[in-house]
Amino acid sequence: MDFEPNDDQTAILDGLDQMLAGLRIQTPKEGETVVFAAALDAELAASGFLDIGREAGFSILESALIAERLARLPVTAETSSSAIVGQMFRAGEMERPLALLQGSPLAPARFLPQARSLLVDIGNDLLHIIVDPARVEPVESLFAYPYGRLAGLDGLETRSLGKEMLAPFRRRWRLAIAAESAGLMRSALDTVLEHVKTRQQFGRPLGAFQAVQHRLAMASGTMNATYWLAMRAAWSDSESDCAVAATYVQDAIPIFTYDLHQFCGAMGLTLEFPLHYWTYRLKALLGELGGSSAQARMASASTWSEAA
Amino acid sequence: MSETDDTCSLRAFRSQARDWLNANIPDSHAPLEGPGSRRFILDWQKQQYDGGWAGLTWPKEYGGRSLSVAQQIVWFEEYARAGAPSTHDGSFVGLNHAGPTLIACGTEEQKAFHLPRILSGEAIWCQGFSEPGSGSDLASLRTKGRIEGDELIVEGQKIWSSYADIADYQELLIRTDPDSKRHAGITWVICPMDLPGITVRPIRTMAGPSKFCEVFYDNVRLPLNDAVVGGLNNGWKTAMATLGFERGTASLALQIKLIEQVEVLVRDCDDAMLAPRIADLRADAAALKAMSYSFALSAAASGSPGSEGSLIRLFFAELAQRVSEAAVDLYGIGAPQLAGDHGWAYGYLEAFSETIAGGTAEIQRNIIGERVLGLPRGKA
Repeated sequence: MDFEPNDDQTAILDGLDQMLAGLRIQTPKEGETVVFAAALDAELAASGFLDIGREAGFSILESALIAERLARLPVTAETSSSAIVGQMFRAGEMERPLALLQGSPLAPARFLPQARSLLVDIGNDLLHIIVDPARVEPVESLFAYPYGRLAGLDGLETRSLGKEMLAPFRRRWRLAIAAESAGLMRSALDTVLEHVKTRQQFGRPLGAFQAVQHRLAMASGTMNATYWLAMRAAWSDSESDCAVAATYVQDAIPIFTYDLHQFCGAMGLTLEFPLHYWTYRLKALLGELGGSSAQARMASASTWSEAA
Repeated sequence: MSETDDTCSLRAFRSQARDWLNANIPDSHAPLEGPGSRRFILDWQKQQYDGGWAGLTWPKEYGGRSLSVAQQIVWFEEYARAGAPSTHDGSFVGLNHAGPTLIACGTEEQKAFHLPRILSGEAIWCQGFSEPGSGSDLASLRTKGRIEGDELIVEGQKIWSSYADIADYQELLIRTDPDSKRHAGITWVICPMDLPGITVRPIRTMAGPSKFCEVFYDNVRLPLNDAVVGGLNNGWKTAMATLGFERGTASLALQIKLIEQVEVLVRDCDDAMLAPRIADLRADAAALKAMSYSFALSAAASGSPGSEGSLIRLFFAELAQRVSEAAVDLYGIGAPQLAGDHGWAYGYLEAFSETIAGGTAEIQRNIIGERVLGLPRGKA
């Protein structure tokens, strides 16, 4: 077993870091809650990082590493859907950015205001809808990602991708949730650790109190577990591993985010403190694809089915 | 319960409350911030006062009705059931902190002037306790008050003062003995918010509105006799009375509303996987109801809420977070139940503050450990 990135993976991540450094991504202006970094999104599309899973010698594991790394940024771009779900399709088949939905095609979807393609799991088929931006209504949301909904389906080009595409679609979506959450958790925890090391109460740093240490230690365990479950799921690309990773993270997000905000006190509840850049997004991912109960059902079904 | 609180009279009281609420609840929701919020809060408070439904347990001589806690509970139950405006707005500090503190510790003049104004919708209060360097460690506060003749000159800064931008008065904690440390030398004062030298800066929260404020005091001059509540340099004791109310009975209306909200989730739940979780919440809500009613009745009998209030405050805060989280899972992003200033999305984000405001969950646990369970005091 090898838990360290190999030379190729290290080179990819180094290259990504260099590209990000060159973009000089700014911390969002104070008070901004939805921060879509259009320049980053365009650069990612042009650079090929989001298509790495299709390259010879690479797999969806490299895509998950990239999605995790990009989620650490304080701004957002459509990354994990393209890098992980989008790799199900042939190059050029699906114009990005992608938006994903389950259920009604008219429900609110992340990145729909920017999307060129909307993939909808309608239960008995996977639909691909070519998005006309003029037909997208923005949806006001407190959850950091840009949300929108289609005003209607009339006149939009829609094609059936087939029922057999539903299982891989859901599997990759679960993986995308887990990989993106892992990166969000890392940056959120780093922000809080910095705060509790410097913020003093009762004559010493908050981080010196055992009650704080214990729960942040648990948060660190949650973050690491999320990361490794996501990486295992990306490595195996199996139904059960992807479902287990998504179940774990969607179950863990509420306590993880509450604890992190708790130790930043009232300051952590304001838009002046940077924690919300990551926790807002975690809260949005909490309910995707039916939430943890739906992932748990899938994890159970696939686990016992594989055992049988 | 007393003879007047028997089941029969409570039933009649409940019927009166229900009828009045049905006929008088405002058609629109309260704005969450700004002048519109102030107007709404004061108008609704005045309407309740004129209808005889304000200050039910406050003394008659100060505008209240001197009714029992059982009747107060019935009113809150009907209030929640009717979907009346949130009580967690700009009226909260006046009705639940400042008012009860003045009743317990104020002079006759202070009670006669302020209490009727709070009840009749003439004045909004805010709290000025926390400072940038003094959150959980409240006793380290540094905003100072210097006595000059018959005036107190206030210099310093407060933070997390909810609704300070629309308030008329502030319950303000200041250090009046410069040589004192920690709990000694602190004074609880009434600070009119329109005095020269006061600057208020709203802070946007992640839930959306700017109800939190920073307040800066630059040579603010308070009349010494009118301002001091509970005695000069005795403010820690007065503040503990205030926080006793906050951690005790102040949240009773909010607790009852939460219990009602759980029932809404029970009615709306159509997801077999979520049903056991919501059933757990219903059990928690039933436990909260028993604990909070019992505590409110015993606090009324003893005259002041004890440290057991922290048990309920903590239980309520964490339950409120679980309930709002379940609501978001049940309805899903984009659902109408989540939308708007009073939707579950706002409630979900707002619930984060429940384990921070009025003493963090960690402080509540310390109080429970040391004062309720009698465990040895830990190193601060």
